[in-house]
Amino acid sequence: MSDAKTMIEFRDVHKYYGDYHALRGISASIRAGEFFSLLGPSGCGKTTLLRTIAGFEGIDKGAVLLDGKDMADVPANKRPTNMVFQSYAIFPHLSVEENVGFGLRRDPRSKTEKAAAVAEALEMVGLKGFGKRAAHALSGGQRQRVALARALILKPKVLLLDEPLSALDKKMREQMQVELIKLQRQVGITFVLVTHDQEEALVMSDRIAVMFEGEIAQLADPETLYRRPNSKKVADFIGTMNFIPCQVLSESGGQIEVDAKGLGRVALSPDQCPPGNGDTAMVGLRPETLTLLYPGQTTAERTVEGLVDEVIYFGDMTYYDVYLGGTDVEVRLSMRNVPGRPILEVGSKVDVAWSPSALVLFR
Amino acid sequence: MKQGRSLRAYAIGYLVFLYAPILLLPVFAFNDSKIIAFPLSGFTTNWFSEMWSDAQVWIALKNSLTIAASASILATTFGIFAARASQRYRFPGKGAAMGLIMLPLVLPEMIVAMSLLVVLLAVGVPLSIFTVILGHVLICTPFAVAILTSAFQSLDRSLEEAAYDLGETPVSTFRLIILPLVMPGIISSLLICFTISLDEFIIAYFLAGADTVLSAYIYSQFRFPARVPAMLALGTILVLVSICLLTVAEYFRRRGIAKTGGKDTGGFL
Ligand SMILES: Nc1ncnc2c1ncn2[C@@H]1O[C@H](COP(=O)(O)OP(=O)(O)OP(=O)(O)O)[C@@H](O)[C@H]1O
Ligand SMILES: [Mg+2]
Repeated sequence: MSDAKTMIEFRDVHKYYGDYHALRGISASIRAGEFFSLLGPSGCGKTTLLRTIAGFEGIDKGAVLLDGKDMADVPANKRPTNMVFQSYAIFPHLSVEENVGFGLRRDPRSKTEKAAAVAEALEMVGLKGFGKRAAHALSGGQRQRVALARALILKPKVLLLDEPLSALDKKMREQMQVELIKLQRQVGITFVLVTHDQEEALVMSDRIAVMFEGEIAQLADPETLYRRPNSKKVADFIGTMNFIPCQVLSESGGQIEVDAKGLGRVALSPDQCPPGNGDTAMVGLRPETLTLLYPGQTTAERTVEGLVDEVIYFGDMTYYDVYLGGTDVEVRLSMRNVPGRPILEVGSKVDVAWSPSALVLFR
Repeated sequence: MKQGRSLRAYAIGYLVFLYAPILLLPVFAFNDSKIIAFPLSGFTTNWFSEMWSDAQVWIALKNSLTIAASASILATTFGIFAARASQRYRFPGKGAAMGLIMLPLVLPEMIVAMSLLVVLLAVGVPLSIFTVILGHVLICTPFAVAILTSAFQSLDRSLEEAAYDLGETPVSTFRLIILPLVMPGIISSLLICFTISLDEFIIAYFLAGADTVLSAYIYSQFRFPARVPAMLALGTILVLVSICLLTVAEYFRRRGIAKTGGKDTGGFL
């Protein structure tokens, strides 16, 4: 994957809406054949950035390159991209097959060839035999598929998806996530997905750009993003993270030693120490990297005493809020509920195992 | 329940007051007497044939239809531009511009007619059906804009972008996507403007000059009692035509809603 060529390149892209600076110097590359996500809270500029790829939004500074070509003078209808809109934008006065075949109007192929292409596209999205239906009479999930087939039939170099699943219910959304991943592998087209749902981004993407206020805060693969977020903000946005105040004791050759409240002295390797932002120093720990030790259990990891302050039962999981080592530092940890593992009560004294390699230093 | 009953009485009284005179039109149009009064004296279709053979009626009708057709097409065309501009673009003074376009809706027609007359006479434009068309475009455009604005506003902006994204030009997008989706609005606008123009009196009376138009002609004939039954026959036909036109307009509006899967929120009618 890493040697794949670049499909989309942003070079210091700036965009203003009047006085509002919506994109503040975006630089990034998206590789060919990649499933790429733009993730961020509402209003951070994800849609705006996606629309600069499609050509619906001009930019005020910088450049957007598609397959090596500067798109500055290429209008949306001439770009090798197609879009799946959040509202699906199914043409309500056309049938399903007319919708799907809409982009083939200027295609020089014969009518029968085009009809075959439409049928193939419908089959690909699991809507075989729906061609004659009126588009407005479809369910949300079916519209979604029509929108996908309509965009993919043109074999674009890039498929752009703006929160395509947000209008679906949870079950349908999960099902469509899997289908989208499969579809992307099958067609091999570069997908750029906009979402504000971090789980969706983690599940689906090869790489994710996390955006805040018009800037990319971190661009990485899901695992790196989750395990090694480069700032407190990213860590907080993606999943849950415990933040523990700490003091930096020494720094030598990338190796950093800190004293974390409740955990004690820890040596951190360079990959656990992203560049600082000038914040007060904290170490971060994901809840699932902490483990409660039950009586008789031992571990090779480091342990710390704790006091259970809160128990939250979740069916397959139980979350515990635990005070560490007689301090006022409270961490949340999650334990899978397996047979023979009782649920502890509030006030229990426990041992908490943790691994130094799971820490990330924010400062 | 007492209140409910009096409300119902009011509603019935209102409807009688509104429609009974219209129902009397065909009654006397088929009554075999020159005098418009009860008791009725017998059935006849003479008044219809009298009207039918009146050359003046046909001239007036032709003029009125020409005016109504031209005014409705022009007003609807302006309406399309205005509605599209107000839906799609933001520009300084937009509120004021839209307000001025809608103003004739509440301006007394008399004032429109008078001021147009003054200007036309001053400029030296001869009065004819063309000047009536001008006046009717002025009073019909606000209706067209109101109907078309709601048609354009119910369009999802991303439909347009989707067509553009799929390779269409702005012009072909307008033709393939926007026009079909606002077509029901265009048709209702045409029909309503047509109806408004057809039975408009003041402007037609002021600005027609030597040309006769239907509404002014009918009014002039009421001076001759013997001509009244024939005019009632003409009126009967006009009522029928109006009902047909409005039914067609409503049909298209509803079909437009059904076609796009929308919900009926009460129409213009
Ligand atoms: N046409 C516009 N005119 C003015 N401001 C705009 C316009 N479009 C977007 N903005 C502003 O730019 C910022 C970024 O908008 P954008 O739609 O890209 O956000 P987003 O990340 O997609 O958010 P969401 O998750 O809510 O869709 C927002 O603050 C928004 O108010
Ligand atoms: Mg958005």
